[in-house]
Amino acid sequence: MRGMTVIVKTIASWVKVLIFVFGIYIILFGHLTPGGGFAGGVILASSYVLLMLAFGREFVQENLPSAAASRLDCLGAFLFAMIATLGLAFGGSFFVNYLYQKYLPGEPLHLVSAGTIPLSNIAIGLKVGASLFLVIFTLSVFCKDLRCKEPEADSEIGTSAGEKE
Amino acid sequence: MPYALCFLLFVIGLYCAVVKKNMVKIVVGIMVMEYAVNLFLIMLGYRTGGEAPIIDKSHIDPETAQVAASFISSAVDPLPQALVLTAIVISLGSLALMISICIRTYGEYGTFDITEIRRLRG
Repeated sequence: MRGMTVIVKTIASWVKVLIFVFGIYIILFGHLTPGGGFAGGVILASSYVLLMLAFGREFVQENLPSAAASRLDCLGAFLFAMIATLGLAFGGSFFVNYLYQKYLPGEPLHLVSAGTIPLSNIAIGLKVGASLFLVIFTLSVFCKDLRCKEPEADSEIGTSAGEKE
Repeated sequence: MPYALCFLLFVIGLYCAVVKKNMVKIVVGIMVMEYAVNLFLIMLGYRTGGEAPIIDKSHIDPETAQVAASFISSAVDPLPQALVLTAIVISLGSLALMISICIRTYGEYGTFDITEIRRLRG
């Protein structure tokens, strides 16, 4: 995978930023419009998949190493669990929206109006984006593996194809 | 009638998963079955002339500052849609697992045919 032609590389280097920003928008406005953590995370991962298709796997590996992606994955899951547990600590029951009930009521249909739900969306977006990126990255490593007959991708199976929420 | 077509789609996927001998075709059959079930759940929530269950400014009653009753009586039930979204995510995870198993098997045996894969080699 050495990457594609100059035309594809140029267009991809412009479009990747737009795709990434659109993913962030979908995540941040997930409680007001259609979308949310999962859809935005898929869009974030798809921007990296575009980079992987246009520039080759090595470029993406330098840009976002699979170890860093795995850490982001775990961080997303940890943040989500922590938000839920803070609900237990502050509001008295698991997953309770304590920010909305006590501290930040907000007006309906504004950006700051849903308490912990945007925070959960951000955590899910991190989790889904990183793990979907890892899935596609690992499958691409598998393909190289088959051509060269060098088994080296064993350690990454567990991180990518494991649990998703 | 739509439910019968949905069941037909499920049966096509079941046929593909049971009869075919290529591992990739089995995976495709399993995914067709999953999408038939997703389609069935979505159709359960269908409502003739229904509205998308998304609240924006035009649906809020200016006097009471609550969601208007006409919206509530005409909106589609969002529960099957949320359920199907979760099911799609889980089917994506299982698809990645199945595909990686297929790639691994092809690397070990050099074939996708399940009748050729007889001996366990480690």
